[in-house]
Amino acid sequence: MLSQAVRWLTEGRLASFSGGIRPPKQTQRTLRSRVMATPIPERLIMPLTIYRKQERLTPAVRIGEAVRKYQCLATHLQDPDLILHAPTSGMITAITRDVLEIQSDGLDQALILCGNTTEKITQADILQSIGRAGIVGQGGAGYPTVKKIRLAASAGVKVLIVNAAECEPFVCCDEALIREFADQVVKGAEYLMQASAADAGVIAIESDKHEAIAAIQEPLKASSLTLRLLAAKYPAGDERILIKSLTGQEIPDSANPAERGILVQNAGTAKAVFDAVKLGQPSISRIVTVAGAPLKTPKNFSALLGTPVSDLLSWCGFEHEGHSEEPSAHLQHTDHLKIIVGGPLTGRRADMFCESVQQTTTCVIATDKINFPASGPEHACIRCGFCAEACPVRLLPQQLLLHSRNFDEHNLNSHGLHSCIECGACAYVCPSKIPLVQHFRQSKEILRDSAAERSESQLRQARYRHWQTRQGRTARRQVKQAAEPERETPFSRENARSEIAEAVARVKEKKSGKRQ
Amino acid sequence: MNEHQPSIPAQLAAHRTADLMRQVILAAAPAALISTWYFGYGVVLNLLVAICFAYALEASALYVRRRPIQHHLADSSVLVTAMLFALSVPPGIPWWMIALGTGFAVLLAKQVFGGLGQNPFNPAMAGYLFLLLAFPLEMTAWHVSEAVIDPDSGHSVLGLASFCGQLELLFPGLIFSSFDIDGLVMATPLIESKLASKSALMSAWSEGRSLLARGSETGWEWINVAYLLGGLYLIIKRIITWHIPMSILTTVLGWSLFFYSPEQSAIVGTPYLHLFGSATMIGAFFIATDPVSAPTSNPARVVYGIIIGSCIYGVRVWGSYLDAIAIAVIFGNFLAPLLDHMLRPRIFGQISHSRAAPAPLGQASTENTAHE
Repeated sequence: MLSQAVRWLTEGRLASFSGGIRPPKQTQRTLRSRVMATPIPERLIMPLTIYRKQERLTPAVRIGEAVRKYQCLATHLQDPDLILHAPTSGMITAITRDVLEIQSDGLDQALILCGNTTEKITQADILQSIGRAGIVGQGGAGYPTVKKIRLAASAGVKVLIVNAAECEPFVCCDEALIREFADQVVKGAEYLMQASAADAGVIAIESDKHEAIAAIQEPLKASSLTLRLLAAKYPAGDERILIKSLTGQEIPDSANPAERGILVQNAGTAKAVFDAVKLGQPSISRIVTVAGAPLKTPKNFSALLGTPVSDLLSWCGFEHEGHSEEPSAHLQHTDHLKIIVGGPLTGRRADMFCESVQQTTTCVIATDKINFPASGPEHACIRCGFCAEACPVRLLPQQLLLHSRNFDEHNLNSHGLHSCIECGACAYVCPSKIPLVQHFRQSKEILRDSAAERSESQLRQARYRHWQTRQGRTARRQVKQAAEPERETPFSRENARSEIAEAVARVKEKKSGKRQ
Repeated sequence: MNEHQPSIPAQLAAHRTADLMRQVILAAAPAALISTWYFGYGVVLNLLVAICFAYALEASALYVRRRPIQHHLADSSVLVTAMLFALSVPPGIPWWMIALGTGFAVLLAKQVFGGLGQNPFNPAMAGYLFLLLAFPLEMTAWHVSEAVIDPDSGHSVLGLASFCGQLELLFPGLIFSSFDIDGLVMATPLIESKLASKSALMSAWSEGRSLLARGSETGWEWINVAYLLGGLYLIIKRIITWHIPMSILTTVLGWSLFFYSPEQSAIVGTPYLHLFGSATMIGAFFIATDPVSAPTSNPARVVYGIIIGSCIYGVRVWGSYLDAIAIAVIFGNFLAPLLDHMLRPRIFGQISHSRAAPAPLGQASTENTAHE
């Protein structure tokens, strides 16, 4: 197995890109144990907002209602593809604007699923299954998969890329997924190919994931997909960077990859698609990496959606304040916000009691002081250029920083701020510990606002000009009317009466016409 | 559920600005030691005086500007400035000249512009150039002990007498009566072009003399070798990139080869002398690579190096100044912003950086988020 992987490594030319960083991976400890299904948590927190909080679901259940596993909990009013299912059976205990809470009964009573057992599965079947299962992209933003496929199919997609290149340190959920469910991922990818009518399919894995590469060889033989190895660099898994690495095409930020005939789907999504199509199972769980030095046994969980992060951590032997019986020295200062949800570079600090597993949650990290030192006060930028070397989209972050601080709109645009993918590679390498990503995000916000303001003011100006022309026209007409005496007959009772009589006659005629 | 917190890179690389500065100092240290070995205590004394003044002046400037003093001093950048300045000025100049030069470097070239990262010119070279313009005679004469010029004189470069001599030169008021100032004046070997024909190290090697014997010939070469190795160390450590030093050295070498003719070598110098006979190596690896005042993109760095290299050769051969590193670097600094503006790398997905109209951000980013 290993020799096979080594051969793959040496033979295939690795697909790569310019720039990027190579932070230590730190996944070995986590990958030592196999993917474990979580126990059923006592309480599940189901967020009602999806796709970066842009879409809001409407609950289909009431407080106090008993629900069964797989039962529909909430839907989108306009969009039937956005749907939320109950991951286990229990009772709804709370519904707020943003979340829905289930108290599980531990019985896991499920509705009976109706999978597709027929030999011939059509494109429409697959799309329907994916839509019903409520699958969203498991990699990043959580865009509804079925929509993405439809979009790509209508644009005439040629290549499907299955993205198994999770490039951030600590994150290894895709690696574990492929190591243990390679068959299902490949099958799912084939369904995705069929659904999007893609001509070719590629599975992209980073070259240092030997076990996953070895595991996927066998299922790939029977399929039409091919394996491509990527250089183990961050951010190899970013959609545009991935496309650049594999095809050499650079898709600008203003274009959609689907327009260029490329559809990228996450490996986890492929697995969810398999479950949805073959078993008819809605998307109620995903594989989540739970890692970090303060954990006794970091591992990958197949976690139910809605599982609170604090539960995941405690199953890995994390002891937090208040819950720990014997506080050990290195855990004493652990406060509840020292948890990162997502990767260490693109994730965010979160409150572990409020946050729960969602379809887009790849990783939960308990931070320690060695890997995640307090960033400390920032120093002056010495323009060392490390950031420019690391930038995968070849921006000059040091120049952008300067222009960001000055809010220099013209230069921010001409230096390509809009192309920034916010990967954080620049901030990672910065020796002065400048939070570059925050600066850029803020500047993007300001640019967006000012662009909106500008278009609004243009609109206002246009309206004003119209008003002016209208005014001019009215004025001219008035002048004209003043010059020419009115020709219309002056008002008289007789005229008015005859006009009214005519109108009444017209109406009567109409009514009688209708009756006939 | 708490407010949606923006993502931030939580894991950061371990290195810090102060570490980079320390690496630069470490890389320059061997050359400083070799300078001391060949030219006596003057080098060390210059370093000490310059560092003291630089720290004092930087601290007072920060105090006046109401900036956190400790935080800013901790980045060690002032140490690098002081060190490069002290290694550039000749040993044996009085202390107040060093103070003046450091003051110009730290206060006028750096703090006035807003401190570290804001200075358009290399502070050390600005200070050096200021002294060169104000005191041309003192700045071009190297007061070194007699032993350097004449190894057989019986004086020791590193002896007490030599130390006192250097101290008297540094503090003109002090008289250690019993010693004569044995300092002699010599110039950089580029002017003594009688040495120009051949590598002194090579000839010393072939004649079986000690390579570490103190003599102006071998001294300069050793120092340059030390700077070269220090610079390579910085490149290997990825603290500087190869672009600037390599293009400077290649340009200097190219011009000196182009204009080289054996009968004229007394005027234009040999290619070897241009690289190893003077301050070329410290200039190429330590001074021109100062990231603050140099351009930041790689193509711009190459052009910057070519400009500096040409300038070094031009001033040396056709100009009136003896050596040209400071002039060349300051000249390059003038052009750095322009180079940065003109030579930008092509942005991902765009056809050409400046021609392509920037996409209106509002539209671009909504599409961007929609398909990730």
